[in-house]
Amino acid sequence: MENGFRGYHPFVLFFYYVCVGVLAMYFNHPLFLLVACLVLIGVNSTHDKGKALKKWIPMLIGMSTIIILVNPFLNSRGTTIFFYFRGKQVTLEATMYGIVMALSLVIILLMFISFNLILNGNKFLFVFSKFLPKTAFLTMLVIRFVPLLKRRFDEINDVQRIRGMTIASGTIRERAKSAMVMLQILLTWSLEEAIETADSMKARGYGIGKRSPYVPYKMDKRDKGWLLTLMLLFSVCIAGGIFGYGKIIIYPELGTLQFYLFDWVMLVCMTLLMSFPLLVEGREQVKWKFSM
Amino acid sequence: MARSRSYLTVVSIIILVLLVVSIAFFKYNAYLLVSFVIIGCIMLPFFARFEIREIAVREIVLLAMLAAIAAVSRVPFAGLPSVQPTSFVIIMVGLVFGAESGFIVGAVAAVVSNIFLGQGPWTPWQMYAWGMMGMSAGLLRNTWWMGKIWGKCLFGFLWGYLFGWFMNIWMIVSNLENFTWDLFVGIYVASIYFDLAHGLSNVFFLVVFGASWIKILQRFKKKYGLLDAVI
Repeated sequence: MENGFRGYHPFVLFFYYVCVGVLAMYFNHPLFLLVACLVLIGVNSTHDKGKALKKWIPMLIGMSTIIILVNPFLNSRGTTIFFYFRGKQVTLEATMYGIVMALSLVIILLMFISFNLILNGNKFLFVFSKFLPKTAFLTMLVIRFVPLLKRRFDEINDVQRIRGMTIASGTIRERAKSAMVMLQILLTWSLEEAIETADSMKARGYGIGKRSPYVPYKMDKRDKGWLLTLMLLFSVCIAGGIFGYGKIIIYPELGTLQFYLFDWVMLVCMTLLMSFPLLVEGREQVKWKFSM
Repeated sequence: MARSRSYLTVVSIIILVLLVVSIAFFKYNAYLLVSFVIIGCIMLPFFARFEIREIAVREIVLLAMLAAIAAVSRVPFAGLPSVQPTSFVIIMVGLVFGAESGFIVGAVAAVVSNIFLGQGPWTPWQMYAWGMMGMSAGLLRNTWWMGKIWGKCLFGFLWGYLFGWFMNIWMIVSNLENFTWDLFVGIYVASIYFDLAHGLSNVFFLVVFGASWIKILQRFKKKYGLLDAVI
């Protein structure tokens, strides 16, 4: 049994990621995005002490720097002009847009890093098997076949090597030829095996009635509680966004960055929503350390 | 039939509602979000069609195996941008097993290979682009020029560009607020060589493997009578 954030029902987890993704693209006030970014970095570091995050950091920093630096030069929309570069205007608005866009993309990528760690494999498919059962089943089969194909390919490779055909040496023509032979062996072998798999599925009664999945996840009280909380916070955020809170006007002229009372309310709601994993993990830590 | 009709009606209503909602809610600048909603809606009917179709066990496993081959073949080529046999496998499936199979194999191969190479905001777009590649191969398979080797090569080469252009649209649509024609041209110019590599690798695979793969797949189709009635 997985604990902490991972232990929650896949629907709750999926809904959390949907909320984060939507809000990252919905709000465009730099402060909102900055807070979201920091929260998600925190979330990522609770998953695996930031191991997966570390691999991505150079790319994230590189990408956002490029967007922020390049956007004002590529784009000359806006009215507040900094200076002219090769006859084109470099504007405050385009710079601001670059910053907003970079932050938004970074948040989405951070979300996907976390998503790949938490909602991988079975859980992901479990979520989709409710909406698209056949497609999810097909995807499940494909995921199972991938390691199988790899093993078969290694086996074919070994046999062919002993026969003197290898992809590791020889002229390009020879290599291409042996690679082609190996791929064809893999294809025919796997297709024959696929038919056998299908027949054995049929023999065990596949397709007789409704497929009954093994569901190792149960929606219990805390899942429902969190789902409701998330929904509530999400609707508050969306509703606030409709009235323009948490958003700024960039083009044609940069609007005010000032915070009103409701902007703070929105910010608190969004932060609470996004720090759902942090709250859960934090609570467990506190319980572990301080309870008798 | 009645069931499929009601399903499609529901789907089209959902699409309409979602589009109206997206216009009403995201009037500021959530173009990336809207682009996801739209791409999801565009794909929904294809998946709905697959869900309601009566399909034999053998066929489903066969499709899974083909999608697995397409997905796996992308992984060793991950270091080379745009060069991968995935497109080739998808075109082959479309040619032999028809448009619907082509779409499903293309879309599923995109999801599964991204499980290994990393999911991201680009996944739905890749699903759609590869799905369409398989689908168009299936729809055009009975034309006279598709029977010729040069016809297939032309098709593969063009799809190298179409695929790249479609993925470029993702970049543009996702920040439409920022749109200028300079940006548009810049993105398309930057992708020319990648698309060329994709197109040429498609042609290479089609010339070298094409005939024998079609033979193998067709033999399976005939031997077990698979996916015959499908368009």
